[in-house]
Amino acid sequence: MSLFENDTIDISTIPRYEEIELNKPHQDYLKIIFINFSISFIVFGALIGLGITFIDELKPNVVLILSIYLVFMGLLILLFVASFKKRGYAIRSKDVIYKSGIIAESTTIVPLNRIQHIELNEGIFSRIFKLGSLQVFTAGGDSGHLKIKGIPIDEAKSIRDLLLNTLNLAKNSTIIEE
Amino acid sequence: MGSHTAFKIVKVFIILFAISLVKMKTNSLIFLTSGLAIVIFISFLIAYLWYLKFTFFLNKDKQEFIVNKGIFNRDQVIIQLDKIQQVNINQTILQKIIGVYGLKIDTAGSNGAEANILAIDESSAYNLKEHLLNKSTDFALDIKENDEANITTENRSIVQISTWTLFKVGLTSNYGRSLGLLILFLSSLIHEGQQIIKAFQIDGIHYVSLMSGMSTIFSVTILVVTLLLLSLIFNLVRVFYKYFELKITQHKHSLLISYGLFAKKNTLVNPEKVQITKHTQNFFQKKIGLLNMSLRQAHFGKSKDEHEMQGNTLEIVGCNANERDELLKMILGKIPAKGKIFIPNWRFLNLPIFFNLVIPVVVFLIVGFNVAEIKPYLPLAGIYFLTGVLMIYISYKRHRITVNEEFIIKKSGIWDISHEIIMPNKIQAITTFQYPWHKGVDVGHLCLHTAAGKIRFKYGNYTEIKHLVNYWIYQVESGNKGWM
Repeated sequence: MSLFENDTIDISTIPRYEEIELNKPHQDYLKIIFINFSISFIVFGALIGLGITFIDELKPNVVLILSIYLVFMGLLILLFVASFKKRGYAIRSKDVIYKSGIIAESTTIVPLNRIQHIELNEGIFSRIFKLGSLQVFTAGGDSGHLKIKGIPIDEAKSIRDLLLNTLNLAKNSTIIEE
Repeated sequence: MGSHTAFKIVKVFIILFAISLVKMKTNSLIFLTSGLAIVIFISFLIAYLWYLKFTFFLNKDKQEFIVNKGIFNRDQVIIQLDKIQQVNINQTILQKIIGVYGLKIDTAGSNGAEANILAIDESSAYNLKEHLLNKSTDFALDIKENDEANITTENRSIVQISTWTLFKVGLTSNYGRSLGLLILFLSSLIHEGQQIIKAFQIDGIHYVSLMSGMSTIFSVTILVVTLLLLSLIFNLVRVFYKYFELKITQHKHSLLISYGLFAKKNTLVNPEKVQITKHTQNFFQKKIGLLNMSLRQAHFGKSKDEHEMQGNTLEIVGCNANERDELLKMILGKIPAKGKIFIPNWRFLNLPIFFNLVIPVVVFLIVGFNVAEIKPYLPLAGIYFLTGVLMIYISYKRHRITVNEEFIIKKSGIWDISHEIIMPNKIQAITTFQYPWHKGVDVGHLCLHTAAGKIRFKYGNYTEIKHLVNYWIYQVESGNKGWM
């Protein structure tokens, strides 16, 4: 309780999360998005093609189906790009901030002393472009997790080490206190 | 505790097999009986072997509780004492007959209980409980200087719920269910009424159809009333069965909650490990001065499964205001003081009204004007709309958070008004979000993630929310208080 009693701190001097300059994911990650997208585009396109050639009822509507598919996929890729442009992350000395969202802009802040564990993932395409995605887990359930995609792998590794270091420091300090 | 317990486990099996024997139709089948005998023998053997290999002990130096189990595969469970969230000492009817207790130790680590000791005699159970408590005592002694008050109030009883109070709880809680039934009843009544009116219009005063209508009304009324009564009685019985003799005592640094009619449950909780403290009250309960509390602890795994969450939620029904304050003091250290209240913007009303009221009503009206059968029911849309607006408005009026230096209290609800209290140091992560069309009016949403679930505040002033978030983040990061 005594911790909060010395409340002489001026609230206006508390650092503001909303004013922080956020790092953008690497531009190459956009290429990965495109690659993933074109794979699913081709797969679904092939499926639809098969459907059109083998189901007779669909044949009169070929143009309609294809145009709907194209429009849908076009919108999807626009959304992907828009959501990519909105993403941003920052590592402060005491917390991790991640901003995302296509329509609603959501910002999640995870204090370093609440991190349970960290995961660094590299997909096949990510490897080609030397990118990685960093996941930060808290005890706050699925929604309390952070997944930052498309960080250059060297940077991701150094962030991971930095976070792990602070985690160890926090643990050691609590052991000393005990 | 030795072989004493073994025979008790064996006894459990005897009863089980006796039941299965009675249920079987043994039509002079020697094979069956002999087969059964072999099965019984093997089960006995396995149970006995399992019992022999099942050991547990408390390592005081390392502050660990260790369970060894398994006949062929040896499993060892090691639980650090300070990671224990709660200790349950339960007694089912069967266990009561043979005079043993079941002991469960629960940490936040996995979904179920980490250690589950099925049969343990009373003295051992309470002995073990004392030891698990003692860990806290040692801790208390270390900081004796500023904790003397706590030590003097040893084993103080905080809450004791009488049978009469339980009766009242049974009558007032779970009102939603009864209300639903009531609505069902009314709608069927209206339907029957319509039928009668139709009968009048078509056949004039046709005695037989009137009689049949009356009789159906009568039977439906009886049916619904009995249903209502049944649900009420069921509710009462459930409350009685579950919370009979609910009692909470304070043990130095933990709370002992005991309840249950036949199946006695004793749960030992460390107040510091409680993540969200919630108290709920509806209109009737307010009138008779009752409220229900629930203490939510950390749960891992899938949070979507409601059932799982129940496991780590302790319900305390039928407290009065004083008892609530005592409990709050015990869990939070003090009664939350008044703080700054944040209320949502009126835009809170828009989406629920649009999706729950406007769209269904419009659809209903469109259908209603085109289908002749529905036309007489069109006024219902108005009633629906008005009650809906009222309910959404109430929920808007109730939706607010109160913040002071030490606590965050979220109030919400339409009929059952709940207050969820957390301390900033229980926050795991914070999410804020805003729709682009709310940027101009400075409205945004807040979600606090804790280990026991989320706390949301919607349609608040975004500048204020950002301010609060900065403040809470500062509190979490500057304080070295852990979350459990």
